Amino acid sequence: MSGFSSAYLHTRLSIFANRLIRLPRLLALIDLDLERILSNVNAITGRHYELDLAYDDRIENQLINHALEDFRVLIRPFSGAERRFFHFAIRWFELVNLKVLIRGKFTATDSSEIQQRLINLGNFADLPNKKLLETDDPYEMLRLLETTDYASIVRQARHVYEEQGNDLFLLDATIDRSFFIDLHRRTCFLKASDAEHLRQVMGGMMDRFNLLWLLRFRFSYGLSPAKSFYLLTSVGNKLNSVELMRLAKLDNFEAVIAALPEAYQSLLANVETISDIEIVMEYYSLAIAADTLRNSTSLVSRVFSYILLREAEVRFLQALIKGKQLGFDSALIKLAVGAVD
Amino acid sequence: MLSAPTTMRKVSLYMLDADAQKAAMTLARMAVMHPLETDHGTLPLDEFPAASYQTVYHDLNSRFEKIKVLSHQNFESPVDSAEVVTLEQLQALDSELKSIWLQVSDIEEQLRRQTEKTSVVRQLSHSLQKFSSLDLDLSRLRRDGDFLRIVVGTVPSINFDQLKRALSLTHFMIQSFYTGEGAQHVVIFGSTEQHEDVQELLKSADFRGLNIPEEFSGSPSQLQADMDRQVTQSEQSIDALNQQLSELLSGNKAKLASARELLIRARPYASLASVLKGRGGLVSIQGWVPAHCQQRVRRELEATLEFPFHIEFSEPTVKEFETVPSLLKESWVLKPFQDLVKNFGIPAYKEVDPSSLFALSYILMFGMMFGDIGHGFVILLGSFLLYKRFAAVAIVGVLAGLSSILFGFVYGSIFGYEEVIHAFWMSPMHDPVRVLLVAVVWGASFLLVANALAIRNYLAIAQHQQAFYSGKGLAGMCFYLAAIYAGYQIVNGQAFGWFEAVLLMMPMSVILWFQWSQSSGGLVERVLVVFIEGLEHIISNVSGTLSFLRVAAFSLNHIALAAAVFAIAGMLDVFGHWMTVVLGNIFIIVLEGAIVAIQCLRLEYYEGFSRFFSGKGKAFEPLKIER
Repeated sequence: MSGFSSAYLHTRLSIFANRLIRLPRLLALIDLDLERILSNVNAITGRHYELDLAYDDRIENQLINHALEDFRVLIRPFSGAERRFFHFAIRWFELVNLKVLIRGKFTATDSSEIQQRLINLGNFADLPNKKLLETDDPYEMLRLLETTDYASIVRQARHVYEEQGNDLFLLDATIDRSFFIDLHRRTCFLKASDAEHLRQVMGGMMDRFNLLWLLRFRFSYGLSPAKSFYLLTSVGNKLNSVELMRLAKLDNFEAVIAALPEAYQSLLANVETISDIEIVMEYYSLAIAADTLRNSTSLVSRVFSYILLREAEVRFLQALIKGKQLGFDSALIKLAVGAVD
Repeated sequence: MLSAPTTMRKVSLYMLDADAQKAAMTLARMAVMHPLETDHGTLPLDEFPAASYQTVYHDLNSRFEKIKVLSHQNFESPVDSAEVVTLEQLQALDSELKSIWLQVSDIEEQLRRQTEKTSVVRQLSHSLQKFSSLDLDLSRLRRDGDFLRIVVGTVPSINFDQLKRALSLTHFMIQSFYTGEGAQHVVIFGSTEQHEDVQELLKSADFRGLNIPEEFSGSPSQLQADMDRQVTQSEQSIDALNQQLSELLSGNKAKLASARELLIRARPYASLASVLKGRGGLVSIQGWVPAHCQQRVRRELEATLEFPFHIEFSEPTVKEFETVPSLLKESWVLKPFQDLVKNFGIPAYKEVDPSSLFALSYILMFGMMFGDIGHGFVILLGSFLLYKRFAAVAIVGVLAGLSSILFGFVYGSIFGYEEVIHAFWMSPMHDPVRVLLVAVVWGASFLLVANALAIRNYLAIAQHQQAFYSGKGLAGMCFYLAAIYAGYQIVNGQAFGWFEAVLLMMPMSVILWFQWSQSSGGLVERVLVVFIEGLEHIISNVSGTLSFLRVAAFSLNHIALAAAVFAIAGMLDVFGHWMTVVLGNIFIIVLEGAIVAIQCLRLEYYEGFSRFFSGKGKAFEPLKIER
């Protein structure tokens, strides 16, 4: 990348980073009414989100589409392996659609209801959603999905479905795991310095998923240590494969927490449930991303960190607005958006 | 010569719900109405009576398309019928097609499984071949030992490393002995105690084990025969399934044909679902029809609708112009040029259709830039030969060839020879200055015509201020004429005096004042915008005019290329000479011809269309019977 493009991108990133809503402000929005939430969000982000628009332009889609538009701006100056890496990373958003489609078909949900839950990704969409919705049974949909770029992920999902039945958590975890393994593989094609910085951010994110999955597989599903370990990704930061193997052999929740590396042990000292661990670990991984976005010299890792933070912001706002629209009280919304004290 | 899209009328049809399907069918058979999504004014029409019909139509159509792709069936043209298709008919057919499709889908799933199974057995067979040279008793792999368990098989390469680590937690070991396509051929061994846990783990890792049948106790070659038999069986199953699928599809040919006919007739009403609005048995639809079809539409509806209806036609208001579709007058000669115009954009309603002017100027410019009797004749001949396969390209080629021949006579040029025939008017080789001058005059005329068309377009859509005061309007035209006059005076050795300055300043002041009135923001920002816009206007006029120098440049380039060919030919013997002349001429026709064709298009798009043509129109897409 030329010096000019690099300077442009650093400036762009700084502008976008300043528009991210910081966690305390996000949490403060929970107690406001919908109108004020939106005016606050518009004021902070400088965008113009509107309520009560048509289906294709409803608020959830507006949030996603603005984010995708910003990602497009950030990715444009990249080329080669870096560009391919980011295009793949943004597929994370389409995985949400993939899960909605697979879950929907396996639970025989009505097509119009599935369609309501799909996110409109515009030009970033690779899945033939219309054709997929027109399928008459789950296996027809899987066959169609196996002709798309998501074939390898779908094959894993099919395998889990045939082996474990309609277990949504396992299905989601399998899809996510396949995605992360592929994403990690793609870091090998990047420049060594970029890959190194990137592994810090990705590692934090993978530690979060691996710990959550390990606890669920071992203590909610009662899987054996070997199988639980096999279903993880082994590409974490502090929780590398040796650590995960050690943890997988432990017999109870408390023992696992006690055996965690020092940093996580102190972080999770007073946390008692898997859901709370999920939230705390997410905050922790986002803090690593925020730090990288602020201080890293690697553009690739800064852009990736921004994508992670923005994705979390979109998810938070979607949950918050949905909760307000459905008339939930603040305590319930706090639970839904993953706010912990 | 110039025309605007066909004049349209807004049609509003109010009728009883019971007649809606007949109305849709009648309008579709006439293919003259472009449906319009509208709020129907003050009428409280908030129901969509065709919505459920459209849902069933959509399901049926999607199932039909899925089956059609597999059936490879050729359908005959359906009988022309005005009979409407009821919702019940659609539902009944949909449930029949669904049942057929579920059978098809089931066979396809079985085929997928059989194919996968065959592939796995082939992989295992490959594994076995690695043992063939060993004198090994395979039955030992089948037998469960007291302490040791051994399994052989394949695992996807992508899962191998993680599986290896996971197995280490169970005191099992895995060893890869061969790497196949996307799979590792492995042997796994370990303590019998934890065998069940390991089995679960292997299943997750998509491990496919080598099954040793009870009857085998011999060498690997014996087992190989069993595997070959399994592959043959799988292949036979696949053939049988394919046969079953083919029989199922051919057995339902008649049903598919009738489904297609029904879908064709149901489509008009289904496609109106989002625009047909109603309430309490009354429905309404609006759209655009060509003005000359008004009476025919009324008559046809009177003849086909059963119950009374109300229809009204109205002229589009200026506010509605954006929603009015453009129906262009068709002509087979202009068709390829219309396609090139559409490539830039569709003329908006009331906007002039530039196709004929584009065709004329394009062909003339091509001839000017590529004037040669011989080359023009080759293009003409080649285009005739191509007509059957590429009609559109051939029409452009024939006209371009004729233009090239015409300018060949004007320049006195034939296959690059400039001295064989006498130039009728000017020879670029002998009088290049005149050629350059003609190009500038041509360019200035071209830009003035573009300016005049812009004024006409602004007036047509009632943007009077733009028409008179903007840079593309009358003020812009006056400025350009003043600039031409000033330029002419300077070229003729006259001084640039007060008169010329006033002539230029007057229209420029109007343009700047108009720009100021249209701009918003702070004082500095407005001053900057107006200054830059004014500067941009001057630069675009100058650069636009000079752009046309390429018309002369390419005619000179044509001669230069021919001269280069003759220079090389002159250094060779007789055979080499003529060979070079022939190949050189082919090179000029293909390479320079293509470049000139592209340059002409560039001049049309950037110096012509961008000055007067918005291209923001919508194509006229009438409701019609899709066969």
